[in-house]
Amino acid sequence: MTSATVFRRQIVSRTAAALLGGYVFAWGFIALGVAGMFAVGMSFHDAEHLFSMLALLLYLGVFLWSFAAREMRQVWLVLVGGGALMTALASLIQHALV
Amino acid sequence: MFQNFRLAMAWVHTWFGLVLGFVLMVVFFFGSLSVFDREIDRWAIPESRFEPQPMPSFDRILKPVFESMQPSPESVAAMRPRVDGPMPEHFDTPVRWGAYTTHRDPVLGVFAGYQVPNAKDPEELVWGNRTIDPRTGESLPDDHLKIGSQFFYPLHYSLNFHWKDLGYWIVGLAALIMLVALVSGVVMHRKLFRELFTFRPGKSSQRRILDLHNLTGVVALPFHFMFAFTGLVIFAGMYFPVTHTQLEPLHDLHEIIEAEETGLPHERAGVAAPIASVDAMVAEAQRRWASKDMAGDVGFLAVQHVGDANSYVSGYRAGTDRIALTGEGIHFNGSTGEVIREDPVPSAVENIGEFLTGLHLQHFRHWLLRWLYVLGGLAGCVCIATGFLFFVKKRKRQHAQKGVSGARTVEALAVTTVTGMLIATLGILIANRLLPANLPARGDWEQYCFWAVWALAMAHAFWRSGPVSAVRTAPAWIEQCRAVAVLAVSAVALNWITTGDHLWRTLSAGYWPVAGVDLALLGSAVLALWAARQLKRRDRRAARAADESAAGEVVHA
Repeated sequence: MTSATVFRRQIVSRTAAALLGGYVFAWGFIALGVAGMFAVGMSFHDAEHLFSMLALLLYLGVFLWSFAAREMRQVWLVLVGGGALMTALASLIQHALV
Repeated sequence: MFQNFRLAMAWVHTWFGLVLGFVLMVVFFFGSLSVFDREIDRWAIPESRFEPQPMPSFDRILKPVFESMQPSPESVAAMRPRVDGPMPEHFDTPVRWGAYTTHRDPVLGVFAGYQVPNAKDPEELVWGNRTIDPRTGESLPDDHLKIGSQFFYPLHYSLNFHWKDLGYWIVGLAALIMLVALVSGVVMHRKLFRELFTFRPGKSSQRRILDLHNLTGVVALPFHFMFAFTGLVIFAGMYFPVTHTQLEPLHDLHEIIEAEETGLPHERAGVAAPIASVDAMVAEAQRRWASKDMAGDVGFLAVQHVGDANSYVSGYRAGTDRIALTGEGIHFNGSTGEVIREDPVPSAVENIGEFLTGLHLQHFRHWLLRWLYVLGGLAGCVCIATGFLFFVKKRKRQHAQKGVSGARTVEALAVTTVTGMLIATLGILIANRLLPANLPARGDWEQYCFWAVWALAMAHAFWRSGPVSAVRTAPAWIEQCRAVAVLAVSAVALNWITTGDHLWRTLSAGYWPVAGVDLALLGSAVLALWAARQLKRRDRRAARAADESAAGEVVHA
């Protein structure tokens, strides 16, 4: 494989991780934050607003990290794995509450 | 793959900035115009050129207006696929009536939402809008486009591209990339403080462009960051609909608890009841605000569950005297007029959220700050545009030697999004003054003119950018600058001819909405002419230098 193809493949992987992985991660963060904080007594709207704002900043952070990180496997694992885990936890908390 | 962090950030900055920069240019420019959206509306709809009005009497003016309203055909058509069975001819159950005004609105926008029989989601409503003269209750024609608040303003957050809400998502991505570009830009340069004072007009044009890019980016860095961020915050619920998809059950649970806590009924009772005097409720709300030493202008007035025993009326105080939008809501039982509830003091999170939203939407009264917003937005435009130019300058020679057209394409797109966008903006203003007043769907025609003119400007930009391939500047720049000057002056002249409101009259009457737009247009014309002259001069200098070096080569040969 030429170095240009390797570079191109890396760029596609990193862009996808930054945009899609970052989105999944931010989604999971909001879901877990809203469900978790509502469970411990924060008002629903407060939790919703607070975690949306924080999630946007987090999205920015992980977006940049996707390009700065050395190891791509780690990025994918943290973003998609972590995002899915947080999303699942949120659903579990909701299940316990409703 | 990148040797270090800084190179990684440089790559992200260059390429994401380039691709989304074209969208960001639109967002920043029309966002800047939106700061004066209501003033542009006055320019575009001459019959609305009168002083701002307070919220009118509900009992005398608003009630008959609401009662005569029906949902818009567009809203009914959009709802059709989400209904089992046919749509009714007439919608009899209004769920919500509302009117919103600010200290800059002479005319009043009102809306009404109606229950749809057999809707798959019974909470989904169809909506109707109307604009009225609050002094008489008379309606303004629906097809007269408020170019500022109904075209430029939504353009800056949705590109007016509503298919599957794609426009919102593109702008959201662009806003995220703006944040990314700001952070990566700071990482790339490091000498942040020095950039604030660095502009070297004497240096090479590539250096000059980069200085200007850094200067406009750094001077307004907090402004750029706040606007991209708060813009995302405003639409966060749309970009991350967590609580309306995955956590919908939790959201429903919260709504039931909330209705119990606030005493504001979530559902209709199903028993008809007439509405009491809303004017009396407004007077009571104003009395309560006055007792807390607050100005008593109503910014938002709404009736929920109209015509039902569970109806309630909410009055919110206008956000004229603070950053946050309307607030301090007081809610009344619609049929008895008794106070149900006064909104409590907002929580810390609510305060932050309202502050961020209000900071972006600026419905407060502060004209100096309003102008600073425009300057900040235009600094953003300069920053993005110089980014394009630097990209082109850096690669022009290399691309010319290799015979690739990348630099030329980027330059043509830059012309399209800088001067082409100005031409399109002037195009819609001119169309607004030239189209016959009684043309059906006049507002739609104005919008078609905007897009058609922009497409023409784009075609011209691609046609007249050939010399970029020979390492020269596209002639399209000069030609479009001249077009901007001619069109801007024409718009001012047409306003005079068609309405009689020339600058002398609006200035001596102190009518700033129209005088301001006219002056801004004339100012743009002067700037555009100056830019065209500078470019022409530079072209001549470059041509002379090229001749001399060619002659020199001949001598040495």
